[in-house]
Order: sequence, then structure tokens, then C-alpha cells
Amino acid sequence: MIVKCVIWDLDNTLLSGVFLESPDRPPAADPAMLAAAATLRDRGVIHAIASRNPPEAAAHATRVTGLDFAAAECGWGPKSDAVRRIVAGLDIGADAVAFVDDDLYERAEVSLAVPEALVLSPEDMAEAVGWPEFSPGLVTAEARRRGQMYAQRRLRLQEARSFAGSRDEFLRYCATEVVIGPATDADVPRLHELSVRTHQFNTAGEAMSETALRELVASPAHQVTTVRLRDRFGDDGLVGGSVVERGAGRDWRVTLLMMSCRAMGRGVIEALLAWLARSAGRGGAATLAVPCLVSPRNTPLRLALSGSGFRAAESGRPGQPAAVFRRPVSGPPPELPDWVSASEAG
Amino acid sequence: MSDPAAADVTAELRDILVRATGRAELRGVADEQPLFGSGVGLDSLTGTLLLREVHRRFGVDVAGEDLNLDALATLGTLAAFIAERAA
Repeated sequence: MIVKCVIWDLDNTLLSGVFLESPDRPPAADPAMLAAAATLRDRGVIHAIASRNPPEAAAHATRVTGLDFAAAECGWGPKSDAVRRIVAGLDIGADAVAFVDDDLYERAEVSLAVPEALVLSPEDMAEAVGWPEFSPGLVTAEARRRGQMYAQRRLRLQEARSFAGSRDEFLRYCATEVVIGPATDADVPRLHELSVRTHQFNTAGEAMSETALRELVASPAHQVTTVRLRDRFGDDGLVGGSVVERGAGRDWRVTLLMMSCRAMGRGVIEALLAWLARSAGRGGAATLAVPCLVSPRNTPLRLALSGSGFRAAESGRPGQPAAVFRRPVSGPPPELPDWVSASEAG
Repeated sequence: MSDPAAADVTAELRDILVRATGRAELRGVADEQPLFGSGVGLDSLTGTLLLREVHRRFGVDVAGEDLNLDALATLGTLAAFIAERAA
């Protein structure tokens, strides 16, 4: 499993001392841990804090490390609770986090309570930078900026919580822009990365290789589409994509649909589904079919399909692991919200 | 919804919906108002939060039992789905 987030203890781990013991001169960053953290950031790994300290400790750590922390849990409860809250808040799996702490007891507590997490001492961490768990095969521009984007996400969520109004009004207030367009060769590494990393919004059970994606981009029988997202909090870059097989018959099939969970709740998957339905209708299709592996992990995707008018022929309890969700596209095309722009080529 | 058990469930679902969306005005949502689409505007994020809370509160795994998520059509259909299983 690839580690997406490292959760750091502060005292004598990410900091070279104990925060509360030296109020006048709070400790600097630990050079070895900071070097490891910076290397991982450049590979697209994000960072978070779980510390038995007041919240000021997180602000201090941000200052002395220069890192963007996607989440900070400061308090006196069990560290395993902090880890669970971070995992839930970031919407990642517990098997995608590493927890680093110098205290043997804390490591044992987290290992027992969150067995999926990779639990490391600072000594382990210095070496672990070279482990395969911390070495995603390739690093895209989106991956390098991931920590920064999670920090922007925190700001956006804070504002959303105090915003009075509907989701659409909030998206408009954020100056959300969703740009849908045909994929080019330059998009292939990021599309491949999305196919590896996305689970909650992914119709396929397996990754798609760069070679396969490149062939599909060049294939006249296929339409490979990219979705980019930005708003006034920041630019998330390429957050989603799809591969459509333009059938000779009246059925177009979406053989791959995927979106980063970072874009969840921002109208992106709904915009892509509406755009795909419009595009299929314009291309002469009668229905748009989305074969989808059904698992507890991708329930958010099923919600988006259901909310966008797609239905599987069978109903009741999910039976086979895969179902085909369909919607008619020959009628009037679904509306696109005004913050979505699309280029129609490809 | 004349069934008293379902009516209790609906009242609690309304609270859950308000928490999942962070929108107090949704306390006024009618039993038969569609949850998807404009108006309530349930999406994949708020829908996931709602399903998680329903599972925790009523022990009913809607996503695991309803492939098309038809139960999420309205608060009324969701309450009926839960009342049927929790009984």
C-alpha cells in the first residue's frame, strides 16, 4: 500500500525537543525528520500532526518546518483517536497513513487500535523514505502540490461551515471553475496516477497503464476526457477523467470514470456525468452505459450516478460485483451549471 | 406517512440531513420532496455523510442493500426503508 499521508508526533519527533518545556525558546525542527518530510512532500505525500500539546504547537511546527499540514490534532486523548479523525477528515484509508512517534507506548497504542496504519519510530522514518510504500512510481505536478491543496481545502471547509446557503450558492461564491476537455498525451501520466490512486470515485477495479491510456487517446473509437478544477482558494489541476467507447450501436459505454476524492462535494462528478450524457446524445447515442464495480468503498460514486439519473437494470441488494448503470440520452440534454466550461473537440 | 414508527424515523432523518448538509433550513423539507437535484441538492459528499449516519443510528446499511439507492428518493422513502428493516 502506498502511504498518502504521514501523521507526525511533535515532541522529540518532528521537533528536536519538547514544546511545553521551553516556552521562551520553543524547539526547532528535527533536521533528519524535516529532510524526510520535505522529500516525501515533493513525492506528493501529505503531512498531518497528532500531538499531546495545545493547538499553538501545530502553529509553531508549521512555522519552523515550512510544511503545509493537511490536518492537525492537538489534545490529550488517545493518539489512535487523533489518527482516526485525521483519516476520516481527509477521506483516505487508514491503510494509506504512516504514524511516526518517538514514544514506544504511543506507537503500540496506535498499532493495536489502527492495525492498518504503518507505525514507525523516527529512526524507521529516516530509512523508510527509501521504502516502496513511500515511493509512488511517478510524481506529477498535482502530486507535488498535494499538501498545499489539502491546506487550501481546510480553508474552503472552514468557510463552507459558516456559509448560509445551498451547495450551488457556495460553489458560485468560491468562484468554482470546472473545465472539461479532450485528453492529450501530456495528460496521460496524471490520468494513470488517478487510475491508481482513486477508489471512492472509480468504476474500475484496477489501474490503467500509461501505454493503454496513450492508445486510447489516439484511438478514433474512444473519447478520453479530462476534468480540471480551480476556485479562489486554489488550483487543484486535473482531478478527474473518463474513457468512453463510442459504440457503433446506440449505446456509448464509459469504460473508465474516475475522480480524485479531493474534488468531492464540489460539483465535479455531477458536471462530468452531465457532460458525458450531452456528448453521447449529440453523438447519436440512445443510452450512456457506465459499467461499475460495486464495492463499499465507491458508494460516493453510486450516489453521483443515482443523483444524475443512472440506474442499473437489476435492483435490490447489490448482487454481482459489477453492475451496468444506464441513462437515456436521446431526450433533452441535462443542464450544465454555469461554472462548468467545456471544449467539445475530441 | 401514517405509520408512527416511520414518522419518528422521518423526524430523526431530518436532523441527520441538517447535520450532513450544514443547512438548518432543510429542517422544513417535506417527506415527499426529492433529495437529489435542485432544492435539497444531495450530492455524493452529503449523501455519503447521510448514509454513514443512518448506518450508525439505525444499523441499516442502505448502500449495501439497495443497488440503485432508490431508498434515497425522499425522506419518506428512506424512513420506510429503515422502518421495514429495523422492525
